[in-house]
Amino acid sequence: MKKLLFTLFTILSLVIAGCSSGSTSSSPGESGGSEGSADQQLVVVDWGGAITEAHEAAIITPFEEEFGVDVVVNTPTDYGKFKAMVESGNVEWDVVNVDSDFVIRGANNGLLEKLDYNVIDKTGVMEELVHDYGIGAELFSVAISYNTDAYPDGNHPKSWQEFWDTEKFPGARAMWKYPTGTFEAALLADGVKPEELYPLDVDRALASLDKIKDDITVWWTTGAQPPQLLASGEVELAAAWNGRVMSAKAEGAPEDVEYNNAVTMADSWVVPKGAKNKELAMEFINYAIQKENQAEFSKLIPYSPANIDALELLDEETVAQLGQTGKNRESQVVVDLEWWVENFDSVNERFQEWLLQ
Amino acid sequence: MGLPNETATKTPSVAVLNRRKVKIPGLKWTLLVIPVAYVIILLGISLFGLLKLAVFDETGFTLEYITRFFSEKVYIDVLLITFKTALYVTVFCLLLGYPIAYALVKMTNSFWKNVIFGVILVSFWISLLVRTFSWMILLRSNGVVNDLLMMLGIIDEPLKLLYNTTGVVVGMTHILLPYMVLSLYSVMESIDGRLMQAAQGLGARPWKAFLQIFLPLSMPGIMSGSLIVFVLGIGYFITPALLGGSENMMISQLIHDQVNVVLNWNFAAAIAIILLFFTIIFLGISALISRNQVGIRGGN
Repeated sequence: MKKLLFTLFTILSLVIAGCSSGSTSSSPGESGGSEGSADQQLVVVDWGGAITEAHEAAIITPFEEEFGVDVVVNTPTDYGKFKAMVESGNVEWDVVNVDSDFVIRGANNGLLEKLDYNVIDKTGVMEELVHDYGIGAELFSVAISYNTDAYPDGNHPKSWQEFWDTEKFPGARAMWKYPTGTFEAALLADGVKPEELYPLDVDRALASLDKIKDDITVWWTTGAQPPQLLASGEVELAAAWNGRVMSAKAEGAPEDVEYNNAVTMADSWVVPKGAKNKELAMEFINYAIQKENQAEFSKLIPYSPANIDALELLDEETVAQLGQTGKNRESQVVVDLEWWVENFDSVNERFQEWLLQ
Repeated sequence: MGLPNETATKTPSVAVLNRRKVKIPGLKWTLLVIPVAYVIILLGISLFGLLKLAVFDETGFTLEYITRFFSEKVYIDVLLITFKTALYVTVFCLLLGYPIAYALVKMTNSFWKNVIFGVILVSFWISLLVRTFSWMILLRSNGVVNDLLMMLGIIDEPLKLLYNTTGVVVGMTHILLPYMVLSLYSVMESIDGRLMQAAQGLGARPWKAFLQIFLPLSMPGIMSGSLIVFVLGIGYFITPALLGGSENMMISQLIHDQVNVVLNWNFAAAIAIILLFFTIIFLGISALISRNQVGIRGGN
């Protein structure tokens, strides 16, 4: 009996330990470096994968050369870790690439340093993405993506209304298991005008989603899923992150993105409160948002620059790939971060409830 | 054994204490002290912090987060789905694992025994993500399983095996099966094979000997295996997220979202504490069941 209890206790402990260790992947001790050169070393945190490679080539490496400093890149961005770091006062990160809504949420929670706009030149950066505590890094969108074998010759849904039209465009669909972006698409499909979207009508969005619930076979949770689902033919249509699908297309997968009606969001650069190299961090952010560097970045990966002036430096083909040609630009909907920050919790609760029905 | 125990309760003297010291294999407990202290100190402190977060926020003591969980239907649903999924997985692991463990115990050819153990352990070592993604390839509508069944003419159109409870249970059963097999095996191996021979020698048919002798003796293994699988299953996160559909939300996904996305650590802690509470209840129930069994056996 004692033995059994003991075993139970051990198992229990293990499970709890397992539950509580959300992010165990620690950064390989940069903090152990020599203290003397600490101000010459900047820790930049990014999402990892292709986007980080593009940031390194277009921004980080040139920055290192120009400023004669050493930049350490850590991945991936983890808000739980971010909060824990700031609250414990042991901040290892200097600059972090975050979802733009985190700029507001983080500022509200007192996790961010104010940006120094004496150092940072925001010329050209989209107004919606300039904030006291963070500034736009690049844009991505939730866009209509499709399998080109199922819908050849431009015969694919070209708006969310058509995406919702399961008679004209039958086939399995995949959507993001996340209310931001998904609700905008649902309302656009229901005929709401882009300029009248906010404040979002949550009931109407859910009613609209009801109409295609049976045709959504997959609610994806990671960005890597949609391109794979589209390529394998598991689904014919998806509301997906454009960059991922375009990357898969570049590798020869039979899929493409329709940029009309794309719901656009952004990543932003922020500085955690108590960062050790604040001044250098501001220099880095300034460097990262200049149009030349932004253009260089967008040449390497199909994410649009947050600095609109950078588009002038790109050739037409690249701009088309980014979905930023005139017509698409006008039809795209930029997510209202303020609204989402205010309402995310309650809307997400409704959404999860709806999913379980 | 009755007599010494009685004297012991009557006179808890130095002699008894001394004898206890001798009786308890001291080395065993000393060896355990360090890991146990490690677990208790580290776990105890962090658990306390968690408990505190669940009922204390900037405004002081509050039950707001705990009541929020129980006042929203969606969270109760997720809790029930979590238990249901873990229960399915436990049952399937037991159904699959019992024959495997039994075969391993009965097997005399050490080569094949090693091969089977190897297969079980290798699947234990392969990354959880890799195994989950392999199941996605196997189970999808134009995947290996459906193609094979269609080729054989068993089905006409692909079965829906992925993005629903089937997918989650299949994937989690595969991942948790080694825990079940190993705990069953460790108990079964210690069962004296001669008991079965004796039963059969006394006229019991093989299946009756199995049901009346082997199965009850292997109960501790069934209990511990089921517990490990069930409790691990409750905490699963990645596999249900990737193999499940919209109706397969597990509670650890909720906790993860609250910690990493919403950043509401108070609510995350409240959910975690509620999960812990129910887990302890389950463990308590099974401890009671197994104690009763010991009692019955002792009585016989």
